[in-house]
Amino acid sequence: MLRAAQKHDQVSAKRWWNVVVFSVGGKKLAARTEDVGGIAPWIEPLPVPSRTPFVGAMLKRDKDVMPVYDLGGRLSRHPEGDTLLCLVARHVDGPMAICIDGVIPSLHNVDVAQILPSKRLDLETLGSFSEEGQDIEIVALQRLGRNRQDYVGS
Amino acid sequence: MSLRGHHIATTAVVQTARFLVVRFDRILCALPSQGVRGVLTPAEAGTGSQVTAVGITYQDIDLASRLGVTLDPANSDMRVVLYSNGQTNGAMRVEAVIGMIEVEREECRPLPSHFQHEERTWISGTTMCKDELVLILTPEWVLGELGEVVAGATGQRVLSAS
Repeated sequence: MLRAAQKHDQVSAKRWWNVVVFSVGGKKLAARTEDVGGIAPWIEPLPVPSRTPFVGAMLKRDKDVMPVYDLGGRLSRHPEGDTLLCLVARHVDGPMAICIDGVIPSLHNVDVAQILPSKRLDLETLGSFSEEGQDIEIVALQRLGRNRQDYVGS
Repeated sequence: MSLRGHHIATTAVVQTARFLVVRFDRILCALPSQGVRGVLTPAEAGTGSQVTAVGITYQDIDLASRLGVTLDPANSDMRVVLYSNGQTNGAMRVEAVIGMIEVEREECRPLPSHFQHEERTWISGTTMCKDELVLILTPEWVLGELGEVVAGATGQRVLSAS
């Protein structure tokens, strides 16, 4: 019974991805839920002199100090909303803060079969899916800033 | 307690680091204290391109522009920090001197590895002062010995290559 349940879990894990849908400058994006460390109100970061592209600030949240990834800058968009939000990405190098729109992110289940390879090469993605006629890229938060594609089907 | 009933004394060595914390706009910076030679008011420092104090000449260092900050000359809290590593002497204008802090080494964190370029030689890490995040600057960068300077996060550009 236990084995059967585990097998069922493995099968369903392969068939569906749980993603968080959020937006930056009005553009909808998604990320796998396991790549998201949390969502919190945005706080003003500390600018840091830096030559690493899109990594030029840090912020302190509770006892954690984390770098800020300027996803809006990378997409040439400005986060929108009176109260911006902070998405904590579980990056391979450690947690990283991303400023996103003030719209509360939502959880979605996406059939893996519906995930298509991304056409864009300027952002690390795991693919994209369509929802209400809109293509939503799944951002590879773990590898953000490393400029490579990690398509789910590869 | 040992087998013979004697207490075994252990001495915990607490290593601390001292910094002078200064402010540039919203940026708090920590300068390793061993390099601090003095703090002057702008009136005491004068308006020339160098400051002489106790027979030592300190060349002006524009650390503010490297941090992407423009200082307000009318700011009454502005101070001039005289800094030296024994080879290079520099005088830098700061928006305000917050004060000297002493922190345990474990409270000094390295710069996150997400920062991957030259900034790793500019900033050795971070610490906290009055619950605020502080950048620990390397003396070599502060004194312009690394041969490069850069503007702050808002505009990445090379200003000079001395």
